[in-house]
Amino acid sequence: MSQTSLTASESEALEQFSYDDAIVRLFVTATIFWGFVGTSIGVLVSVLLVMPSISDMFRSDIGAMLSFARLRPLHTNAAIFAFAGNAIFAAVYYSTQRLCKCSMWSWTLGRLHFWGWQAIIVVAAVTLPMGITQGKEYAEMEWPIDLAIAVVWTLFFGVNFMMTLLTRRERHLYVSLWFYIATIVTVTILHVFNNLVFPTGWSKSYSLFAGVQDALMQWWYGHNFIAFFMTIPFLGLMYYFLPKAADRPVYSYKLSIIHFWSLVFIYIWAGPHHLHYTALPEWASTLGMLFGVMLWMPSWGGMINGILTLRGAWHKVTTDPVLKFFVVGITFYGIATFEGPMLSIKSVNALSHYTDWTIAHAHSAALGWNGFMTFGMIYWLLPRLYQTKLWSTKMAEWHFWIGTIAILLYIIPIYAAGITQGLMWRSLKPNGDLMYSFLDSLQQIIPFWWTRVGAGSLYVFGVLMLAFNALMTWMSRPSKYDVPVYSVPRFSKTYDDPEIPKSGLAGTPVLELAAKLDALSKFDWHRRWERLPVRFTIAIMLAVLFASALELLPIFLIQSNIPTIATVKPYTPLELAGRDIYVAEGCYNCHSQMIRPMVAEKLMFGEFSKPGESIYDHPFQWGSRRIGPDLARIGVRQQSGLWHWKHFEHPSVISEGSVMPNYRHLLEERLNYQEIEKRVRAAQFLGATYAFDLKDSADVARKQAEKVTAEIITQGGPVEYNGHLTKDSTVIALIAYLQRVGTDLFKPEESAAPAPAQAPEARNTEARNTEAPMAVSISQ
Amino acid sequence: MSSTTDPNPTNIPLGHAYDGIHQYENPIPGWWKQLFVITVLIAPLYLLYFHVGAPGRSIQEQFQAAMDQNQRKKYADLPLLTADAATLMKFKDDVKWTEVGQVIFETNCASCHGAEGAGVIGPNLCDENYKHIKKITDITKVINEGVAGGAMPAWSTRIPNQNDIIMLSAYVASLRGTNPAKPKGPDGSPIAPWSADE
Repeated sequence: MSQTSLTASESEALEQFSYDDAIVRLFVTATIFWGFVGTSIGVLVSVLLVMPSISDMFRSDIGAMLSFARLRPLHTNAAIFAFAGNAIFAAVYYSTQRLCKCSMWSWTLGRLHFWGWQAIIVVAAVTLPMGITQGKEYAEMEWPIDLAIAVVWTLFFGVNFMMTLLTRRERHLYVSLWFYIATIVTVTILHVFNNLVFPTGWSKSYSLFAGVQDALMQWWYGHNFIAFFMTIPFLGLMYYFLPKAADRPVYSYKLSIIHFWSLVFIYIWAGPHHLHYTALPEWASTLGMLFGVMLWMPSWGGMINGILTLRGAWHKVTTDPVLKFFVVGITFYGIATFEGPMLSIKSVNALSHYTDWTIAHAHSAALGWNGFMTFGMIYWLLPRLYQTKLWSTKMAEWHFWIGTIAILLYIIPIYAAGITQGLMWRSLKPNGDLMYSFLDSLQQIIPFWWTRVGAGSLYVFGVLMLAFNALMTWMSRPSKYDVPVYSVPRFSKTYDDPEIPKSGLAGTPVLELAAKLDALSKFDWHRRWERLPVRFTIAIMLAVLFASALELLPIFLIQSNIPTIATVKPYTPLELAGRDIYVAEGCYNCHSQMIRPMVAEKLMFGEFSKPGESIYDHPFQWGSRRIGPDLARIGVRQQSGLWHWKHFEHPSVISEGSVMPNYRHLLEERLNYQEIEKRVRAAQFLGATYAFDLKDSADVARKQAEKVTAEIITQGGPVEYNGHLTKDSTVIALIAYLQRVGTDLFKPEESAAPAPAQAPEARNTEARNTEAPMAVSISQ
Repeated sequence: MSSTTDPNPTNIPLGHAYDGIHQYENPIPGWWKQLFVITVLIAPLYLLYFHVGAPGRSIQEQFQAAMDQNQRKKYADLPLLTADAATLMKFKDDVKWTEVGQVIFETNCASCHGAEGAGVIGPNLCDENYKHIKKITDITKVINEGVAGGAMPAWSTRIPNQNDIIMLSAYVASLRGTNPAKPKGPDGSPIAPWSADE
């Protein structure tokens, strides 16, 4: 860093600083690296879907890690936290310093942030394939990692950012910074509340919430994570890098104010539209839909401001790959934010939910909007960060075209797959019978999945081109980076806001209210806010917390929202162990446990799910996609333990055309009974009641395992497997759980009387699939 | 190594310039405002229609109505049947009704007996060998009551409509002598052809 010689009086008046671009270089490099990793794992899981038998070629414990269900969370978390996350940080660190005319407040915190975040990603990448998971989408990482995220995000990143705002030398905060503030505040709130868990060890915890409550909390989180991690910060990125790259003023200041605040106020409410037709109370679902529809224009406000900023610069788009990426990125944002509100409409969602439509929607947003905005930003940054020319503009052009084709090749077949499957599920014959089986619908869409393998690979190839271009640009960097030192006048502590001009209506014969509204709509008041970052931050926080409280609290506090069912009892110790396997294996990635009140669903899967049925489910496992059939009534539909045993051993042999991988490792491994007491104690802490001494948990579990195994053997199953008795297999616990799922609703009320200790014996009480939801008592 | 003055030029059209970025004060498009207002106004209307307690509009009520209608369709022109041999013999050769049985079979039985009845975990239902069946009415009995220690569960509780059970039995009877793609080896022993004798 160079020092300029200044006279004493000059140095008093001027302050000197330089930008920390080294941190931006780190984040850009990480973005490219994780972008490659995240998309490659995406291709890997897409291959595993069409060729699930790949895991057969490995030893069962290795093959266990090569299942779609264990790796899909790795793909989503890598795309969100690693790729998008590092891209956001690169954008924030580069633009914030320039927008505030100052250096980052602490360069050390910046390094702690960078290395802390990368460490989190690495730990997640190791633990997720091992089945260490919280079992909630995009919140899979276990609690120690969550704590680390909270620390790195809030203390290292958030504090550094806020302190930079407070030490800025620019009076007003530019639009991008509003979006960054909203990101930091809201992600913190979402992350903390959705990850409230009861740990039973370093690698296992239970959500504090269950069933309906957990589902609402999760999709409040999931929806708003998409909003405040994948949308809001990228709009901030757009507001900085797009006008810079196009060298054009932003189209409308007023529009940016309105669409920013309307996004902040409305987004938070819309989460429940991910739970239409589920056991969530209908009023909450309606709120989610109505606010979802309202989001359409606020979202498009960002698109309009982006696209119209290019007015007068369209000729540049033809020659500049950066602008091409931005234009297509913003277009995909427009498509996705039209589709989002559309999918939040209940009747549309009835078709799309649980199908690939959601997957296509998510990828048009992730590959198109997040991916392309990031690539555009990186291509713009590379020459500036490495202080040389971009190695090959032509290659960047090629990346753009290959990437665009890849996205279209990905989403069009997957949209087709989603709609095909949705329509097949609901097709009925004239006599009211189902037209197709679940497997029919699955077979129909597998060809579309094959095209996705190709499209995904093409997209990864594009990322590799970016990586190569970045590497070659880095190679031609100067031997020493030039770090300019800027001198600017000291930031005066006092400031007089310009007089707010009187409304033109003042003094005219209109109501005072009209005059006030007129003045309000001129947004001069907002100009004052823009120089008050603390007040601005608090306003966002209040908006988010207020909406969250109004929507979440009634579900948590008013009991009539979740009518209890007398016959629904806590899981037995063995079933708890089995449920933990279900969660660890990530079964929810392919199987829902939530039958919607629809004719075709009832015919295909059984009686629709009731809110009171999942009150002991920590976490809830309703799922969001049916790659396999719904399992909410699996205990009613498939009682045969032998069937489950053989099915886990060779799913596609038992169920021809199935794409489920084998779960041989569950047959080969022995269940650790010592762990069971901890699980039971956790369940008791979270509200389950048990009549036996919890110290005997393992014995109670053993007894039930013997009973389950005896049945399997009677039905013709093996007595021994892989050198141990069948009853010691891990899978016995999972089978016990599956035989229980969805059966309580149909149990006669009397059988509820024996203490849960006898539940294993009571389990085989015949489930009754009658029309009337029996024994449903509503306690107010 | 250079030193510059203020990196941000300060020619300011709107009074705002940040790192060289300016902002126009263009008006917000009218259609944007109108659509926004419309999407907001839909909310109270929707709430009024669906959430003030008018009967028949909740999701569950709509579902119940649709389900009732669906259930009436299938056996609209059929009385409640009895599972005697004559009835089963009649329906096993009636394609219109074996198709009904086939759907019930595919939903409930295919996971163990295979989609074509060729047998997977459960026995092959297409050959001449049977484990627990001697005559056609035994099919209904096995379906209703279950056998083999729960491996074949009792379906009477799961499929409450007796006509469903009869159509299913008739369909199973009709499978005998078909040639599925991958038949499981024979289970049990050969039995006499189906007959209407009780």
